[in-house]
Amino acid sequence: MLILAGPVGEREHDGGSHPERPARIRAALDGVSDLRLGSDLVTVAARPAQRDDLLRVHDGEYLDELESFSRRGGGALDADTYVTDTSWDAAVRAAGAGLVAIEALESSGEGAAFVVVRPPGHHAQRDRGMGFCLLNNVAVAAAALVAKGARVLIVDWDVHHGNGTQEIFWDEPDVLYVSTHQWPLYPGTGRPEEIGGLDAIGTTLNVPVPPGATGDVLLQAMDEVAAPAVEAFGPDWVLVSCGFDAHRADPLAELALTSGDFAALARRTAAFARSPGRLVLFLEGGYDLQALRQSTAATLGALVGDLPPPEPPTFGGPGSEAVRSAARDRRRAIEELSDRLLAVDSLDAPVTERPRWGLGGAR
Amino acid sequence: MRAPARIAVGYDGSPGSEAALRWAAALAGALEAAIKVVHAVGLLEHAGLASLSVHEDRARAIAAGAGVEPSRVEWCVLEGDPGSVLCRMAEGPDPPELIVVGTRRSLVHPGLLGSTSLGLVACAPVPVVVVPPADRAS
Repeated sequence: MLILAGPVGEREHDGGSHPERPARIRAALDGVSDLRLGSDLVTVAARPAQRDDLLRVHDGEYLDELESFSRRGGGALDADTYVTDTSWDAAVRAAGAGLVAIEALESSGEGAAFVVVRPPGHHAQRDRGMGFCLLNNVAVAAAALVAKGARVLIVDWDVHHGNGTQEIFWDEPDVLYVSTHQWPLYPGTGRPEEIGGLDAIGTTLNVPVPPGATGDVLLQAMDEVAAPAVEAFGPDWVLVSCGFDAHRADPLAELALTSGDFAALARRTAAFARSPGRLVLFLEGGYDLQALRQSTAATLGALVGDLPPPEPPTFGGPGSEAVRSAARDRRRAIEELSDRLLAVDSLDAPVTERPRWGLGGAR
Repeated sequence: MRAPARIAVGYDGSPGSEAALRWAAALAGALEAAIKVVHAVGLLEHAGLASLSVHEDRARAIAAGAGVEPSRVEWCVLEGDPGSVLCRMAEGPDPPELIVVGTRRSLVHPGLLGSTSLGLVACAPVPVVVVPPADRAS
């Protein structure tokens, strides 16, 4: 069974010629329709997230300013990110859709959920919207689960690093954040050495890959780097920042995946869930409408019916050594930080960590 | 403490970044320091979808006008958010000894520092100078 939460953003939050546009939602919905799921598809309407839900991951001052900015008509947040008079309402409903999806899965106890919303969320930091994102949808859902005592895995296969999600959960030991992303590329964070804060060493996991990387490289990252960390972590829920801009047709980046690769990634990620009915995918990026439609169908088809994807998976691109290097760099960073902690524990002295960019340093 | 020999300045063609570049270039000229003009490439610019008024020639002209020898000016383009790019540079090999940025309107702190400036001040391992726009400075 597939639970579809939303849609949000099919008409509102429209930046004109901007690539993050309402037509993306129609393309994703068309991808769902292509599966012809019949009674196996259950649609649940989004509801606005409550302020307390948002305050788990965003500063109240930022929420107030963003709402006020949108109510006044909006404008440009930065060179990439726009706000319109309908953006606040859309963003709050997008953030609430994940909560609705979780409730639906808790009731059904089976299947997976797809949260079809925009604006996307994974770049949004505690006190700042950026990279097309205003509120961090996947983080709102993960924080709600953590508040109920759950351990949450977030897999982010969007082509861009989810700096906002990483920042929000930097010191949260009950959230394991795993990201594969093109490097170098916006936002410039997501190095393997970024492993989480002193209270959560190892719960941030980054595998940057070079332009041209194919699906087999991302699967290698999942199998060789992510899987051992996930097994040790033991998640109760698996949330996916499900961007489709790593597709080879996407105009915003240069990875070389096909829809068939997203199907394979979905199967791998679903296997991380320890129980049925504990997998939620959140639409993030993906700016070629045909690729978005095909990738949506392939991803969800792999989860609810094992339908064959419209494109075959890809092999042979660069990045295999980058994955191995990321594993080494991550392991070294964890050992070094752990050694420092052990050394100062014996002295009963505090270890301080200089803030890193995008990890709360701006607050 | 000695005077900085390597200065990095964030530049995106905005009035705020031009003010920062002018200030940094004046300092570099006076100290005979090298200046690295850093432009961070965002999502839209990476895809060729943004026509930002960013010109290397203009940046070099501003530096030259402040008395910096052309050989001491380096134009540097990096992928990322301006804050992450400048922090990464400061943590990398051959880091700058001073970072200079301008200010943009901050949604959360209107009238105060922009979020890039605030984040840099918090995380950069070297001194950071935040230059106000010309109208506020006057």
